Amino acid sequence: MPEWTLGKVTNKYPDVPYEEKERLFLETKADPRYPGYIYGCYECGICVSACPSARFYDYSPRVIAQAMAREDVERFYEIMVEDICNCAQCFSCVRCPRQNNPGGLVTIIREMAVRNGVQEARDVLQGYTRVIYKVMLKGNQVSPDMLQPDFFPDWGPWVAGFKGNMKAWRQAIPVDTLRGVTDAAWRTDDETLRELYTIWFETGNIDIIQEVDEGLYDLLVDVMEEELEEWE
Amino acid sequence: MSEKVLIIGAGPAGLEAARTVADLGYTAVMVEKRDRVGGTPDEFHYAQLTHHFRDSEEAMNELAAAATASANVELLTSSQVAALEGEVGNLTATIQNGSGSKNIEAGAVILATGFQHFDPGRETQYYNYYSFPDVITIADLEGMLKAHQVVRPSTGQPPERVAFIQCVGSRDRQIGNEFCSKVCCGIASKQAIEIRQQLPDSRVMIFYIDMRMYGYWENELYWPAQEQYRVNYVKGLVSEILPKGDRLLVRGEDTTMGRPMEVVLDLVVLSVGMEPSAGTRAMAATLNIEQNKYGFVAAGGSTRIDPVATSRPGIFVVGAASGPADLDDTFSSAGLAAARAIAAIRRAG
Repeated sequence: MPEWTLGKVTNKYPDVPYEEKERLFLETKADPRYPGYIYGCYECGICVSACPSARFYDYSPRVIAQAMAREDVERFYEIMVEDICNCAQCFSCVRCPRQNNPGGLVTIIREMAVRNGVQEARDVLQGYTRVIYKVMLKGNQVSPDMLQPDFFPDWGPWVAGFKGNMKAWRQAIPVDTLRGVTDAAWRTDDETLRELYTIWFETGNIDIIQEVDEGLYDLLVDVMEEELEEWE
Repeated sequence: MSEKVLIIGAGPAGLEAARTVADLGYTAVMVEKRDRVGGTPDEFHYAQLTHHFRDSEEAMNELAAAATASANVELLTSSQVAALEGEVGNLTATIQNGSGSKNIEAGAVILATGFQHFDPGRETQYYNYYSFPDVITIADLEGMLKAHQVVRPSTGQPPERVAFIQCVGSRDRQIGNEFCSKVCCGIASKQAIEIRQQLPDSRVMIFYIDMRMYGYWENELYWPAQEQYRVNYVKGLVSEILPKGDRLLVRGEDTTMGRPMEVVLDLVVLSVGMEPSAGTRAMAATLNIEQNKYGFVAAGGSTRIDPVATSRPGIFVVGAASGPADLDDTFSSAGLAAARAIAAIRRAG
């Protein structure tokens, strides 16, 4: 353990060599967004008080900002493995007086974990195979009528009202889309789909999927290539 | 009746008071115990001044030249005030030097005898300052920074890992210094920046209770130290320093991370606070003015809100003789006391 790391033996993941943790840390820091996401940390806790996840989970955006500001490699790795999935990416934390963006740091660390095929990222994403499948093939996942007041407390007290009258609300929208229930949300037109698939291929997004889930990758590529070939 | 202002102490506070008295057309007599002017910044070879990073020697020389070049300023070095008799407008001071004593008439007195750095060996042997050569104070570090020779005293080699410990001798009921020394947060941050400038491969951390970076110290010192120079601030004080091979192991709690911590370091810098100087204590007794429970001169006067008034009319106190003060405070009080002293003389006349 490097002598600079604070804490009495904080090495919770001794099987991963320090050099690998440091490589992931340095790669995270090298992200072009990084300098604008972390300046210094007062450890004031305003990000935690604003964070919906912190009220439900053992999760603290302050610790993330702090660990990065202190360049604590071991803590960084713990965050990558244990914490980043607890962030809802709502960015309530950006009210930081130093203009830090802990949620943005989480974005970078998540991408880093997925891109590097970190085992924990694979494990977490395993449960989301269907979600990823839907999002990548249809462009969305949650449709409005899936709203459950108990699971979306941060949406405020109106959720219950919307939920109760969802059908009426949807009918009131004059545009002929999303009027139906769940399956209507997934009725995406062909041109949109082709653009979507092209984006996944062109941006390398599909390669990231391959890194974490080979089976899902094969499934997605089959469908998307067929659609794109048909179009050509 | 005398129109002279007697100024005791020729550090930044005394020099600035003398310069202002002279600029206002009155005469100042400056009495200095040492054989030269410049006070503590000169005696301890301060590197750069907090908060604006001006070269200390250059700034003090400019100030000294401005004060002593004036025909209205008389300087008596290697001299001390042994007694003061009389009332405002009509005071007689007995001045002693190596060759004897003489009397000086004055209308008012400005006391500018300053502070001394807290001695980490006082009462308890704080952090083994006198046992471990690589435990130093911010006062010791100033000289190293000035000479661009920041080294571990034990080896003469530059340190790779340095930590500051804040509030040594301040905010501590056990020691009897319950007050905040006001400047150490800024000085430690300034010094941390200087270390990182002089030794770019070093790592620096600061263990603190609260960081008190009032006003522009925030953006001039604290933020650059953290953001530009990557100084690590850890809220939590060190309980003990132990030898570890030829290095030092410090123990404390990282309170915001909620866990104990141990760090191995090459150099530990104690951010020692301010205490009244021996001269301040002695002069307060000689001039028969009230001191507070810490030995500083009690300021405030009968109104309690005049920062340069003492318990004795016509005697004014400036700078760190009345309590912890930075240079901005010191210059402000020096100018104010010069004006007050002249006003007192005019009123008495």
